[in-house]
Parts: sequence; C-alpha cells; structure tokens
Amino acid sequence: MARLHEHGTMTELALGRAAARPRRRAHVYPYLSILPALLVVGLISIYPLLFALDLSLYRNVLTEPLDHPFVGLRNFTEAFGSYYFLRSLQTTVKFTALIIFGTITFGVLVGLYLNRAGRLAGFLRVAILLPWAIPTVMAAIIWRWIFNGNYGILNALLVQVGIIPEYISWLANPYLAPLTLVVTHVWKWGPLAAIMCLATLQVIPRDLYEATHIDGGGGWTTFRFITLPFLRPTILLLLILETIAGFVTFDLIYVLTGGGPGDATTMLAWFAYAEIFRFLNLGKGAAMAFVIAALTLGMALIYVRLLRSEEYTT
Amino acid sequence: MTARSTLPLQAATLGVGIILALFLLGPILWMVSSSFQFDSDLFTVPPQLIPRQPTLDNYRYILTREAPASYSGQITGRRASGEALSLVPALKNSFIVATVVTLFNLLFSTLAAYTYARLRFRGRDLTYAFILTSRLIPAISVAIPISVLITRLKLLDTHWALITVYVAFTLPFTMWFLMKYFAFLPPEIEEAALIDGCTRFGALRRVVAPMAAPGLAAAAAFAFMGAYSEFLFALFLTRTMAAKTVPVILVATAINHDVSFALSFAALIVAMIPAMAFALIFRSYITRGFVSAFGR
Amino acid sequence: MRGKGLALFAVAALMASLLFVLPGASAGPTRLTVSFTVWTFAVDLIKENIRRFEQRYPNVEIKLNDHNWGQYNDTVVSRFVGGSDAPDVLYSSDHWLQQWAAAGWIVPLEDHFPQVKEMAKSFAPYAVDGMTYKGKIYGLPYYADPMGFFYNEAILKKAGFTLPPATWEELLAQSKVIKEKGLVKYPIGFGFSLQEPFSIEVFISMVYSRGGDLFDKDGNPVFDRPGSATIKSIQWVRDALKAGVLNPESLSWDVQAGAAMRAATQVYSISRASALWAFNDPRQSKEAGNFKIALMPGSTHQTVGFVRFYAMSSQVPKRGKEALDAAWAFLNYFGGPGPDNSYPVVRKWATDFGLGFAQMPLFRDTEILLSFGKWVDVPLLQRIGQRYSKVKQGLTPQFAQWDVFTRTELHKAYLEQQTPEQTVKNMAAKWNELRRK
Repeated sequence: MARLHEHGTMTELALGRAAARPRRRAHVYPYLSILPALLVVGLISIYPLLFALDLSLYRNVLTEPLDHPFVGLRNFTEAFGSYYFLRSLQTTVKFTALIIFGTITFGVLVGLYLNRAGRLAGFLRVAILLPWAIPTVMAAIIWRWIFNGNYGILNALLVQVGIIPEYISWLANPYLAPLTLVVTHVWKWGPLAAIMCLATLQVIPRDLYEATHIDGGGGWTTFRFITLPFLRPTILLLLILETIAGFVTFDLIYVLTGGGPGDATTMLAWFAYAEIFRFLNLGKGAAMAFVIAALTLGMALIYVRLLRSEEYTT
Repeated sequence: MTARSTLPLQAATLGVGIILALFLLGPILWMVSSSFQFDSDLFTVPPQLIPRQPTLDNYRYILTREAPASYSGQITGRRASGEALSLVPALKNSFIVATVVTLFNLLFSTLAAYTYARLRFRGRDLTYAFILTSRLIPAISVAIPISVLITRLKLLDTHWALITVYVAFTLPFTMWFLMKYFAFLPPEIEEAALIDGCTRFGALRRVVAPMAAPGLAAAAAFAFMGAYSEFLFALFLTRTMAAKTVPVILVATAINHDVSFALSFAALIVAMIPAMAFALIFRSYITRGFVSAFGR
Repeated sequence: MRGKGLALFAVAALMASLLFVLPGASAGPTRLTVSFTVWTFAVDLIKENIRRFEQRYPNVEIKLNDHNWGQYNDTVVSRFVGGSDAPDVLYSSDHWLQQWAAAGWIVPLEDHFPQVKEMAKSFAPYAVDGMTYKGKIYGLPYYADPMGFFYNEAILKKAGFTLPPATWEELLAQSKVIKEKGLVKYPIGFGFSLQEPFSIEVFISMVYSRGGDLFDKDGNPVFDRPGSATIKSIQWVRDALKAGVLNPESLSWDVQAGAAMRAATQVYSISRASALWAFNDPRQSKEAGNFKIALMPGSTHQTVGFVRFYAMSSQVPKRGKEALDAAWAFLNYFGGPGPDNSYPVVRKWATDFGLGFAQMPLFRDTEILLSFGKWVDVPLLQRIGQRYSKVKQGLTPQFAQWDVFTRTELHKAYLEQQTPEQTVKNMAAKWNELRRK
C-alpha cells in the first residue's frame, strides 16, 4: 500500500505538468474505465442478491404459485429454527474446519518442500499445477471412482497393504462420506495453497536464514521466527478463502455424495439447493441462500480486519 | 542448511517427494488407465493398474459417436447414447464460452486494474472494495435470481448467458491480480509517455499493456480456466446441447450409473487434456504471476 | 504496433465467436414443432420411434430433450417454473402427477381429448389411479409395472434351497446360509440412493407385502402407529445390514443392484419387473436364464404398481387447435393404440426392453407374449400385476416433497443414527407440515 502512495504523488506531478490537456477528460476517464467492470459485477452479483432477499420475504412454494403473501422474516425464522438447518450448519462447520486444517497444512508443508532446489522439486513444481488445472467436478468424478466401494483402487490398495481387512463403503458411510469430500477438496485446492506459499517463501531473503544459522538456531527456530512471519499474510488469506469455500461447497457434494448418506454431507449450499429444487420452497431456499451470502461476507469482513491489522504490525 | 548431504535426509526427502508425486498424479494416471479398459475389466477385483486388454474403443466411441465393434453387440447401458456421446459439442460450447469470457475479462479488468493501480479519484476505494467483495457472494445465493433474470431476457440456454455470468465471476480475481501486477511495474516509462502528451488510456494501450504482457497472459489463463471449469451456473442456465458445457455433460454421465463407466472416463480424459495443457503452457506466466501477487 | 495488432485480433476473435453464437437462418418447410422431454433411457429407441412417427405425420416435428432420471423431477420443475422453457409433451410418473397438476403445469387430457375417457377403460386399474388427479385423467401410459422380487435360482439351489423365501424372516435366514457357505458376500442389495425415485417404491412394496398401509382413506398417516408394517420394514433393513447380508453400498446405489445381480455377486433384489429382462438377456448377463421373479415375501405378498406416462403441459392448449391436434397424434401414437390400432410404441418397448404396459389388450398379443416368455414366467407376472399390485398411497401434491424427505430419514434409520420409531415420527410430522400448507 505504501508503494501506491508513491506512485500517486508522482502521477499527480506528471498530470500537473500536462495541465494543458483538457481537465474534463482526466476527470471522466477513471469512471469510464471502471464502468464496464462495475456494471457487469453489479448486474450479476449485487442485483440478484437483492432479488433473492425480495424472494425470501414472501411465501413462495413453486407448486402453489397463487398463494403468495408477504411473510416478512418468517422464512428466515422457520429456516433457522428447523433442526435440519442447524444440522446442516453443524456439518458445514465441521467440514470447513477440516478443510482449513487440511489445505493450509498441505500448502505450507508442500510449499516448504518445493522451495528447495533439486530435480524432484523442479518436477513437482510442474506437477502441482495439474490438480489445480482440473475442474472441481472432474476431480470429484476421479475421486468418486477411487472411493468406489466395490471396485475402487483405494480399497484395493489399503487391503493389499494390510491397513484394512476388507473393502470399505466410503461413500455410503455417514462418517467417511464427509472425509471423502475433504480429501478431494485438499487434492484439488491444496496445490493452489502450496503455490501461494511457495511464491511467498521465494521472496524471503537468503541472508535471513544464514543469520539464524550463525546464531545457532535450528530448523524449528528458523521456521518460527523467519518463515512464519512471512507466511502469515498468505495463511490468513488462505484462511479466508477456505472458510468461504467450505460454506459454498456444492460441486463436490453434487458429484460425490448427493448430500448423503442420510444427511451426512448435506451442507449449507446443498441444503439451500434441496430446499428449492426438492421441496420447491423458493421462499425458504432464497432465505437460506441469502443467509449463506451474509455469513460468508461477514466472515470475510472479520478476516480482512485481521489481515489489515496484520499489515500494520509487520 | 548444512545438513545438505546426509544420506538418510536425502532419502527421506526423496521419499516425501515420491509420495507427493503419487498423491498428485496418481489419481490422474489411474483415470487414464481406466479409460483404456472396458467396463467388464473395470469391474474386477483387484483392479488392473495396467490394463490387461487395453482398448481405444472408448475414445473411438466418444469422438466419432459411432459404436465400435466391441460395443455394438452390447446394450450399451441404454443410456450411453445420452449425454456421454455429446462430449464434442460440449467441448465446442466450453471453448467458445471460455474464449469470449477471457477476451471480455481481459478488456474490462485491464482497464479497471490500471485505473485502480495508478489513479486517485473519488470513490476509488469504495468501488474497488465493491468489486472484490462481490467475489465472496456464493454462486448458490444468486443462482436462482440470475436464472430468472436470464430467462426473462430470453437468454436461457445460450452462450451469452454463461459468458455474462462468468465474466462477472472471474473479473474480481483477475482485476485484483492485475492491479497488483501494474502496481509492481515501474511507472517511469508510462510517465514518459504521459509527458509526451499521451492520454491515460493511450499510455495503457501502447506502453503498459505490452510491458505487462506476462501478467495479462496469467490473468487470461485464470479467466479461461475459471470459465472452463464452472459447473453450478452451467447446470442452471443450460438446457440442451446448444449451450451445455463440458462440466455439465461429464457430471450427467458420471452420476448416471447406467452409462458405461469406461465411456465416461474416456470423456473425462478428453475434457481434461485442454485444461492441463493450458496450465502447462501458461505455467511460467502463472507462477510468475503468483510471485508478483504474493511475494512482496 | 503491438497494441493495434492486439486490438485487431481481439475484434476479429470477437466477431468470429459471434458467428458461432448468433442463430443461423432456419431452412425448410414450416412444420408444427412439439417439444418432447424424457428421462435418459434408451434414447436411441425413442429417436427411432420419433422417426417413424414423423414419417407417418410429416407435418409434425418432434424436438427431443433428455434429462438424467435421478434429477428428472428437479430439472423439469425448474423448467416449468422458468416459464418460457416448459416442454409440450413429457414423461411423468405417478410420484409427481399431483404436484405438477396442482401447480397447473400439466392439463387433464380428457378436457381436450374426450376420447381418453373411453381409452382409459382398457388400462390396468392401478395405472388409471396413478394418472388421475381430482377425477380427471392426465396421461397415457408409457411404462407400467409392478415392483418385483427377484432371485438367482442357480445360487439358491447351490445353497440347498428349492423355493424362494415366502416371508422376510425366511429371506434373512436364506441369506445367512448363502453367506456362510461363502457363495456370495452380500446376497441382498437394493437401489436405495437418495437420487433414485424407485427407492420409495421398493420400500413401500416392503410395507404392502406385510399387509401394511401408509395412510388411511382421509390421507392421515398410519405408518407411525406402534408395531406398524413400516416400522417392521425399517427394522428388517437394519437387521439385514447388521447381519452383513445386505450390501451397505445399497445406500448409494441406483442401477448397481441390477449390475450386481447380473454379475452373480448378489442373489436377491427388488426392482421394477422389467429388470428381469436384462438379467435374463445373454448379451448383458453372465447368468442369463437363472433369474426368476417371485411373489413379494410377506404375509399378503402385495407390491407397488407404478405407472410412468406421457403428460401434456399447459403450453399446448395455448397454442391453438393445430398444436392440440399434433399433440394428440403424438400421444396416441406413443401411449395409445395409434392410427392403426397396433400400439406401435408400447409394443416396441415391450419387445425390445421388456417394459411392462398398462394397455390390457396387449396382454393377449401373441408377439408380446412370446417375447416376454423368453425371460419371465408370464402367468406369474400377470397374476402379480392384476392381483397383487397396489398404487402408492398418499399420491397428493405433497407426495413428491415428502418422498425426498423420507429418503433421507430412512437412511438415517438404516445407518442407526435414529430409531425406526423416531424416523416414522419425523416422516409423519413432515407429512402433516406439508399438508397444512
């Protein structure tokens, strides 16, 4: 942010010298240049959100289009009060905690690993792009086949190595099904975290490491006092991204588990989808969708505050 | 790092690397192997890591849409003629949409990012925050209103519906990314152009954009990948093969167990190749882009 | 200069892409278009049927659209709600008839085609029940069948049994013996996936076969009474899972239960009666000829009879008499006797895929009887269809939503996350909640 201020003043200088140019154009240009972006984003992101709010204030069951009274916040209270909503919130929180832990750990550890020179590290730095490049639904299809209870390769490997006595039904087990979602998520998004951490690590000056060595510090001290402070902003950013990702997960559920077995993987976004498409309650579904947006925005705001305060202290 | 050359450490490092490589690439390789087998081979216990009777027929069926000899006798899952064989039209749709999205995205985000990077004006911080925050709105929250909007505009099941939505959703990230990139570039060269009487836009067009070509390439890669991979909106906004994209087709075949598994795997591999090739080709731009965005 | 070149390229690419995107000029003589939406099953045969129909009626063009069976209702509902994209004619099921009819998305056929009332007299009673809402008939049958209990006779004999089980306890006992003898790991498997519309029909068959009911004639739940057949059925599934004779993967299966039967890794299943055609087809099944249908185990042996049918949306009457005429020609050709009284499409489904039918005259058709005889005991199948098949109770506008809710609740019961008593309590509560609205 400090650098930007520098540019600002220099730009102003430059502009000042070219004051012979008509002032009007200089004033209008910024607004014109951001207008397309603003329009598109506003039309597709903000306006529909307000529309969703509007939908949620009415009773709106798709099979009864004529019964359409204004119900205020009743859809919200019904949704929040329902045991099923709370359960899906619980499942979402548990899942989000797991992916935060999994992705960030993977990202940091693999970033550290890739930061060293070497043939394998070089090869891996290319390989790490592949899971990120594969669309989420395709990753889900791949892992669905791996987790297959009757013919999946994971079962075969685990039995071969002797870890489990017989094939496990991963996707039909209420405790394992959420874990399959976590594994697939980490496989798909962990590499991005690793790339981000790697990029951050690569700008740490080498002499800092050498300094700690001379002072007699070991691996852990180096990590704690040199590496971690540099990584902290990236980790915080990952925290934001993964929290939001956890709350909006939909693609993975659609392909891997369909919300099941039972309601073991019925998380918030899936719950909202089911409310609209299965129970045809557009009012309640829109209320839930709006709540999800509010939650993610709220959490992001909190994190951003944290990130901002981080920047001021470093 | 004086412990560079102890053998156990080297071996451990290599071991970790191999496990990592297996974790990252194993699933893809396993899917490739599966795509060269028939269903009857896939449904064996234990699975065949290297196909004992490899076959190209799955790919042939997917790409030519005509049943090769090995499939003609079978009742090909009674549903193979459904979505699995629509991969080629889906690829066409995906490519058209992703390309147009990338073009518009580059146009809009370059314009906006440059302004945010260099200029001060009233409402700068507010509009910037507005655009970035929109990225945080979950797709599910706006999917229904958007599909109603699209239907009313009579754009349902068209490329433009997807293009508009995807531009809106990929824009915040590319704009943020390009903003950082432009902020990184030294301003002297463009200031020289400005002093020579160039407008801001002219400076952007003639001086900054060419300089920022690697950053633009990375942004283009992100936009393309984002548009190619998107599923939820494609599911809601498309109805027929006129607009259905690759993720929708693949998911429809994958969760429909009556479709031959082997065919859906072959379709998956064919669809994955462009994405992976893209990432590999643009690899250096992408990684450089991340460094400039995160390495401060 | 680079900048200009870039700009030119961008413009060129944009224009090129627009060429793809803008619609081409339509060519050819003007025909009346009827859009037809189906779920994905043997789409090749559907297209062939359409071809022959269009040859017969050259002034009508049928546009075909297919959606996944598991998501069919979800997808079609979103199209109806969207408004401009509703199909003209489409597949429907007795699960969803009431929901669609109450919302006004489909129209009673007899309002526009009075000949339907006469035609309905030749349909099986459970099929007519399934296509009727508020006393009016909304469709012509595409596919009607009872839910059948199947077993692999060869493996049964190997285990030392001569007859299929007559009660659920016997089924459990036989399965345990088969498992102990090491013949098969999981003798029983069902399609209980959350996305499988058939799953509720399997479950209700279990309830019916014990002589149980779901609702009384006023539509009040009776399945939550203590000791009900529903509670017993849930308990049976839990016992079967605990005993290790029911494949736990069933909770994520739809058609895989059939695949397991055909691969001889399973001995018993419940599915639509026509599944037996695939089991006994040597092109698809390793054990063709070994599979038999039996009466549903349980004291009364009753089972669910379902009907999938052709419905017409409210769009068609709005388009005028020509559209209605075209639609009737289509409906008659596909779901009725057709212009030559030969039931052209129903016949094709029966002979090519063993799909059951509700059109009773066909029960005496020699071509069909011969073709059915190749894979099933025809008199037994007819007896099941005529004497033991009941339509699903609770077919009301809220059934479809209650169905989806119930699937999740049943899973939780099977997975021992809640008791059967709690499960039926939740199911009843949901039913009453939906009814009140």
